[in-house]
Amino acid sequence: MRGPLHGLVPTTQRAPLVRYLTAISGYAVSEGVAFGVLAPLLTALLRGHTATAARWVIPLAAAAVVGWWAHYYLGSRSLRLSTAWRRDLYTRIGDTLLTLPLGWYDAPGARAVPQLVTADVARVASTVFLAQALLGAILTPATVAVFLFACDWRIGLASLAAIPVVLLALTLGRRLSARAEAAEHAATTEAGARLVEFAGAQPTLRAAGQSAAGRAELDRALATQHRTARRQVIASLPGEYLGELGLQLAFTALLFTGVALATHDQLGPARMIALVVLGISMLRPLDALVGLGAALRGIQSSAARIEGLLTVAPLPEPSPHPGGTGLADGRLAGVGTGLGLGDVGSGLADVGAGLGDVGREAAGIGVELEDVRFAYPDGPEILRGLSLSIPAGRTTALVGASGSGKTTVTRLIARFHDVGAGTVRVGGVDVRDLASGELLRHLAFVFQDVYLFDGTVEDNIRFGNPDATDEQVREAARRARVDAVVARLPDGWASRVGEGGRLLSGGERQRVAIARALCRDAPIVLLDEATASLDPENEAAVHAALAELATARTVLVIAHRLNTVVRADQIAVLADGRVVERGSHAELLARDGHYAAFWRDRDRAAGWRLASAARPDRADRPARAGG
Amino acid sequence: MGRSGPAPGSRVAMMVEDLAALRRPVRTRITVAAGLQALAAVLAVTPAVVLVEIGRRLLDGSVRSVWGLAWLAVGLLFARFVLYAAASLLSHLADADLAYLLRRRLTGQLGGLPLSWFAGGVSGQVRSVVQDDVATLHHAIAHARADLAAAVAGPAVVVGYLLWVDWPLALVTIALVALAQSIRMRLTVRAADQTQRMAAASTELTAAVLETVRGIAELKAFARHGRAPRFTAAAAEYVDADEQAQRIFLRPRGVARATVSPATVVFVTTALGVALVGAGWSDPVDLVAFALLGVGLFEQLTPIYLAQDLRDSARDAAGRIVKLLGEPPQSAVEPGLARRPGTPLTVELDDVRFSYTDGHPVLAGVSATLAPGTVTALVGPSGAGKSTLAMLVARFADVTGGAIRLGAVDLREIDRDELYRHVGFLLQDSVLLARSIRDNIALAVPAASDEAVHAAARAAAIDERIRALPRGYDSVVGEDAHLSGGEAQRVAIARTLLADTPVILLDEATAFADPDSEAAIQDALAELAVGRTLLVIAHRLYTITDADQILVLDEGRLVERGRHLDLLAAGGRYAALWAAQQDGDPATTRTDPAVTAEAADAAVTAVTAVTDVDGVGGRR
Repeated sequence: MRGPLHGLVPTTQRAPLVRYLTAISGYAVSEGVAFGVLAPLLTALLRGHTATAARWVIPLAAAAVVGWWAHYYLGSRSLRLSTAWRRDLYTRIGDTLLTLPLGWYDAPGARAVPQLVTADVARVASTVFLAQALLGAILTPATVAVFLFACDWRIGLASLAAIPVVLLALTLGRRLSARAEAAEHAATTEAGARLVEFAGAQPTLRAAGQSAAGRAELDRALATQHRTARRQVIASLPGEYLGELGLQLAFTALLFTGVALATHDQLGPARMIALVVLGISMLRPLDALVGLGAALRGIQSSAARIEGLLTVAPLPEPSPHPGGTGLADGRLAGVGTGLGLGDVGSGLADVGAGLGDVGREAAGIGVELEDVRFAYPDGPEILRGLSLSIPAGRTTALVGASGSGKTTVTRLIARFHDVGAGTVRVGGVDVRDLASGELLRHLAFVFQDVYLFDGTVEDNIRFGNPDATDEQVREAARRARVDAVVARLPDGWASRVGEGGRLLSGGERQRVAIARALCRDAPIVLLDEATASLDPENEAAVHAALAELATARTVLVIAHRLNTVVRADQIAVLADGRVVERGSHAELLARDGHYAAFWRDRDRAAGWRLASAARPDRADRPARAGG
Repeated sequence: MGRSGPAPGSRVAMMVEDLAALRRPVRTRITVAAGLQALAAVLAVTPAVVLVEIGRRLLDGSVRSVWGLAWLAVGLLFARFVLYAAASLLSHLADADLAYLLRRRLTGQLGGLPLSWFAGGVSGQVRSVVQDDVATLHHAIAHARADLAAAVAGPAVVVGYLLWVDWPLALVTIALVALAQSIRMRLTVRAADQTQRMAAASTELTAAVLETVRGIAELKAFARHGRAPRFTAAAAEYVDADEQAQRIFLRPRGVARATVSPATVVFVTTALGVALVGAGWSDPVDLVAFALLGVGLFEQLTPIYLAQDLRDSARDAAGRIVKLLGEPPQSAVEPGLARRPGTPLTVELDDVRFSYTDGHPVLAGVSATLAPGTVTALVGPSGAGKSTLAMLVARFADVTGGAIRLGAVDLREIDRDELYRHVGFLLQDSVLLARSIRDNIALAVPAASDEAVHAAARAAAIDERIRALPRGYDSVVGEDAHLSGGEAQRVAIARTLLADTPVILLDEATAFADPDSEAAIQDALAELAVGRTLLVIAHRLYTITDADQILVLDEGRLVERGRHLDLLAAGGRYAALWAAQQDGDPATTRTDPAVTAEAADAAVTAVTAVTDVDGVGGRR
């Protein structure tokens, strides 16, 4: 129970666990006593002193009673402990998964999570059961050994000769199998990930033609898994067998010593037989020790993996405030009022009053980014001193080339990552001073690559606000034109959307995401607009829904549709990790800078037609292309 | 799409046969291992027997052949050790080989299923069957037999010996062990009721954790109290199911264990033994045999109990494996009968019908011809069958009526690899594989030169982005290449360009997932269109106004066909769709191409007006 395993014991379970372990230990000792008593009993019996032997039956009876009590008590106790432990681990893992910086999920470590959850947690919690066997395998022989030495030190010594051999075997086994086991685990994880990819990328793989080549990576992973599994089998054998061999040496030593002592009249035959029986009884549980040692090692590495996940540094949270959630609005409002004075001409004049009201009526929560710098781990700096004021209650459109950091800006506002330098303030408060719950309660998102959960459409909309009434959910769905999607699904509202929402088209997913955000009804909306994925008949309707989402809310939109850009109160153009232009559509066009160039490019794209190559498509519109 | 299998009831018998067949390659090794292990178990009784004999002789005052007996014991034990090691090695290796074999078979089967089977996301399920279920199964198949053989042979010898030594005492010992064993065998039956729930809970947990990892951005954004609701629920159910399964046999198991705990066994046998010796019935030295052999007897039977347990969980695992192996694969043409598409490479849709396995029709007879080098657009409302039609041409599934022909040959008569040498597609959100960007682009043409790969990337407007990655084209997806959805899409376009298929199926929504490089992608697509047959699922109608042919689908039927202007003039469904779209997207309807400040101002005015209209529309 050392190392990572110890750290994983839930604090509330510490005391019960200690009581449980104490009980196990008591039971293990009592079993040792039962065997110990057997020595004088057998000696008396073999010598023909039946009455003396009968007296020794009484402590044996006592040990048996202890055994019955222990099995009754320990059974329910161990189940309760291991279940509580698993619950606690799942809760902690569940909480941790959501506090990890998003960047962590891009790293290879994330691939191990399914294995960790399905196998490692159960393994760690099974320590409770293992402890019973393990303590039994240690304490019972130890108790027997005490009796053995008390009766005859020579026999005791002979049987103890095994201990160093067994220990050596255990150490050797550990060294040999640890690496093989780690390799096997890694190979299994890798093969699992390849499988998920293989199943998920089937169309791509088949389109690539050579079906055999498409499978090569998976086959290689499976072959590696196989090879490491075989290697692990072989690597774990010496440890196991050396242990066995050690035990047999011990038995040999015990038997030969006994026989030698008896044949040389150093020890009466009755006593000799009784003590050899005792010695064998002592050695028997040690056999199990070898296997248990391997099991414990497996558990330790499981524990290390879980510990590794739980100790990934989350984004630091501010120290909790006793007021809890109720404080959030007051906090935002209070600081926000002060801020209203500080900010320059960004439409915050009415915000101070708005923030006076508690709750979401605080229609004016603005967002400021000040001199923000940011780089993804091991990546180049994406934002290089970006400053942007997103006025409350208005729509700000972000425009810029792919990779200019538009999505990063929204992620920093939502604090999926922390800025490298500078500050992000929501309602005037540094996001790092807000508990993540407080911050997120004020935000609604519409991601571009919407991920839906494998539930019903309704579940997915309600996900934005679990407290929403059925009516609110339906209303949000109607406003985002999700009802039209639902109408064509085989089971209507009860239809499942598939893993990741794959049974819906991209546009339909986006509509569900808009409904989700509407249902959420948060004062700030971060919108990564999709393009070209809505079917014609609903495109206008979705625009209406988006417009509705924008009323009385602070909206930051990564705009892709030209009319969204034009419609925004403020357009910010990103380039080189900074805001290079800011203003209304007309202002920016007049400036004839980045934005004007962008507009011309996009306008050319908007007029583009797909046609078979021969048609002089572009040549028709030189004015458009040239601007 | 059709994921339903045949009725499960009729499969049980087949399943048993299937498993026997699956096991065949390792059967010999497993049988030999079982024999060796049984022999080893028999030899394990040696120390007790020898010790009793030595005791008997010493107590009689004779030292005759005591040493010989001692050496015999040691020799037999060593033989046991060798047998045991050999059995263990043999069965473990057979185990690993069987698991590998099954995984290969399963992945082979996956490769033969129609692509429609993969729609809706099955990766969690696949992982759970191929990894977890196989692990469960191979253990039950390969280990159980050897362990079982030992568990039968060992106790049989012990019981026989004890009966021979002192039958009343033996009977009492057997009674204790039999009581405990019967309790625990009954429990196994009861536990079987819980395995369904356990299996369901385990599958759900796997799916939930995969979803949590993949949907983490959404979860972070929306989840209340920092919890992932599905994960939380799945984990709770998993623990609850397990706890309930265990709780059922909590008390009986306690009783069984206590009955055969060493202290109890030693107490009962010695108490009775002392009485019997006192009554002059038994020889004192007989008790030595019971003290040594009686205690371990129950533990030796454990594999019998576990085997039952393993068999139950293995049955469910086997059920899922066999179900996957039994999914009807897409009909593959026999190599000898495969035909190559002829020339010209015309795509012919001949009264194409398609319905789901439940009979729900999606396409009800669509006929059209896609002449080589032309652009055909599919247009229609959601659910009209556009995607299904395109997917049928890409042979994600087979038509349930009519035929699709490529170069006058039915798709079903063309070898799959041959088909995809002619037909490429960009229909779904593209998936990049966890390998280098270069390999991703050259997936279909691994031998492509670097120049060709770079040229394809340039044409797909992704070359610069790739070069900015830490290792350029050698960056590995998921390791040091983190691409946005749109960027991944452009890599997929580069892949399609390089694959150079004469027929290309395209979903406009998929192709234009990255609006920031839309113009660049358009150039790429224009290049793609050169000399190729294009079938485009169109959403923005103005992009296809120059298409050679527009097919308008509604409720699985082809309702109109023709060129843009003709269809507008006809004033039918297409004209209605066109009108609806023009209303919705003012920025694209402007006919004046010149962009000036004045025009922009006008646009702003127009948009303001539209916003108002939208506001009304939203409250409708």
